[in-house]
Amino acid sequence: MEAQRVLTCMQCGKCTGSCPEAGKTPFNIRMIIRKKQFDRTVEEALPWYCTSCNTCTLRCPRDVKPSEVIIDLRAQLVEDGRIPATVQKALENAFVQKNPWGKARSKRADWTQKVDFDIPHVSETKEKRLLFSCCIQAYDPRCMVIPANVSRLLRAAGVEFGILGEEEACCGNEIRRMGEAGLFEELRDENLTNFKEYGVKEIIALSPHCMNTFRKEYGESGIRVFHYTEVLQDLLESGALKVTGGYGKKVVYHDPCFLGKQNNLFDDPRDLLRAALGEKPLEFSRLRENSLCCEGGGGRMFYDVEALYQRNSETRVKEALEMGAEVIATSCPFCVMNLEDPATEKGLAVKELSEILLEVI
Amino acid sequence: MEILVFTKRVPVTQEEELRILDDGRAVDLSKLPYRTNDWDNYAVEEAVRIVEKGGGGVASVSMGNAEADEVLRRAIAMGARDGLLLEAGEVPQDPFARATLAYNFLKKQGTPFDAIFTGVQAEDDQFACFGGILAAMLKIPYAAQVIAVDDVQKEYLVVRRELEGGLQERIRIALPCVLSIQSGINEPRYVSIMGVRKASKVERKVFKANDFAEGVKNLIEVTTWVYPPKKEGAAMITGEPVEVCTKLVAILKEKGVYQ
Repeated sequence: MEAQRVLTCMQCGKCTGSCPEAGKTPFNIRMIIRKKQFDRTVEEALPWYCTSCNTCTLRCPRDVKPSEVIIDLRAQLVEDGRIPATVQKALENAFVQKNPWGKARSKRADWTQKVDFDIPHVSETKEKRLLFSCCIQAYDPRCMVIPANVSRLLRAAGVEFGILGEEEACCGNEIRRMGEAGLFEELRDENLTNFKEYGVKEIIALSPHCMNTFRKEYGESGIRVFHYTEVLQDLLESGALKVTGGYGKKVVYHDPCFLGKQNNLFDDPRDLLRAALGEKPLEFSRLRENSLCCEGGGGRMFYDVEALYQRNSETRVKEALEMGAEVIATSCPFCVMNLEDPATEKGLAVKELSEILLEVI
Repeated sequence: MEILVFTKRVPVTQEEELRILDDGRAVDLSKLPYRTNDWDNYAVEEAVRIVEKGGGGVASVSMGNAEADEVLRRAIAMGARDGLLLEAGEVPQDPFARATLAYNFLKKQGTPFDAIFTGVQAEDDQFACFGGILAAMLKIPYAAQVIAVDDVQKEYLVVRRELEGGLQERIRIALPCVLSIQSGINEPRYVSIMGVRKASKVERKVFKANDFAEGVKNLIEVTTWVYPPKKEGAAMITGEPVEVCTKLVAILKEKGVYQ
């Protein structure tokens, strides 16, 4: 398949033209596809630059799917056992503890201690609606507030939901993109077995990355999958969620790749923000389908390329400051983590959408 | 060169808060994941690199319950030719008992080897002496904390041992011998799930540990599990930032940390 796909490439360059890594790093996706056409060796370090933002695949006029070619290249390196040490650690952790950070599986529901009400196991709920926390939000102190916040918001709107607790395993979205297809299958099968056993009918994913793989790579499970911003927007529209507005700060919205360009969810987060602010949020010059990737996807949370070039998050922060924004809002934990470092340095706040909403209900 | 590598399946405890059960008689391991002892991964990798270069074969040996097969599959996926499981419901933790079991097995089976590798220690019991005891029983030389294998000859190996103070000791050790391999000697290759699935097709040989139990006895006995004594809590400095900093600097000066 891959060989056939690359042969259809006509080297138009739309991939490189839209790639968030092209130009500033040694990563040149058009060159890689060319090398694959002629069966030439691709330097081992190069595939790890890709952020799996998928822009190349979305824009390719010949359906070459360059981002999938990168996954195939990584898969070969994985099978050969020749992968960067930090990626190796993340994969081994995901195998042993079911999360790439290697945190104890028994602590996966520790974030529930941040709310002052009990969250039942999904099997004990009537609606069988599962709130899927995602690894980084289950364990990272910065991101643990997100599942807690969304739980508060859902409860405020009277939505019944449950969790899987320590039975939840990594969704595998990043694992597949790091080229570990076998491990992805194991994680997917484990989650699907649990979904089936507990009769899960609906999943509210907190991370766009989890939502993406549940929707596109988990097969036909019959389970409805939503990102939490879709659910909250419906609740806002129906009046079940009351947002008072008047957040009082100038906020610019950053589209996460896995939510926006890969799943066409552009308006729900903006509508929620507009309700919270009482006005339209500010917009970056590169927005919606053209949003500039934060460089956290495709395993890049676990692989640091040489930092000799300007990070996209720095570019984002610079533009936000120039337009007079006080806060960058986004709806993806990876984007939060990547944007926050350069933002904090410049005195700019980064908020996950749920943090803003919680302040105005 | 034929190399036997002893590999152990151990619970992953680093991120856990372990609980002692039954008044100190047991530790709750029921919910812990398991994996190959970290040091053993380095030992397998080193052995595989040696035979990849100079020929021969690696056999991974594990003593444990049926689930220890997991570490054998992993070793085979890394490049070991054989996997041998000495199966018992419960294998003693006592290093003398474990070494006796391994010794009986090697003698009775007549398993050929030029070298035996072990990890420096096992993550769970941390005795760090299995290899040394086994070498003594076999009456062959032993080198601990091996951080490099510089030369492989028919009659001997040249290896480096890690010593205190950042020094290394280069030694020549006659074959057959036992080496305990230190982490950092190499970078163990990644073993993919596909690789482990393929390795599952290689037949592992299973032996009953009971058939090799002669003289296997514990010389030490775990009497009780205890938590380390709690130390005094940290002193909290309160007040305005300037006041806090002044107090902090005074304490650091008093302790001699800051002049």
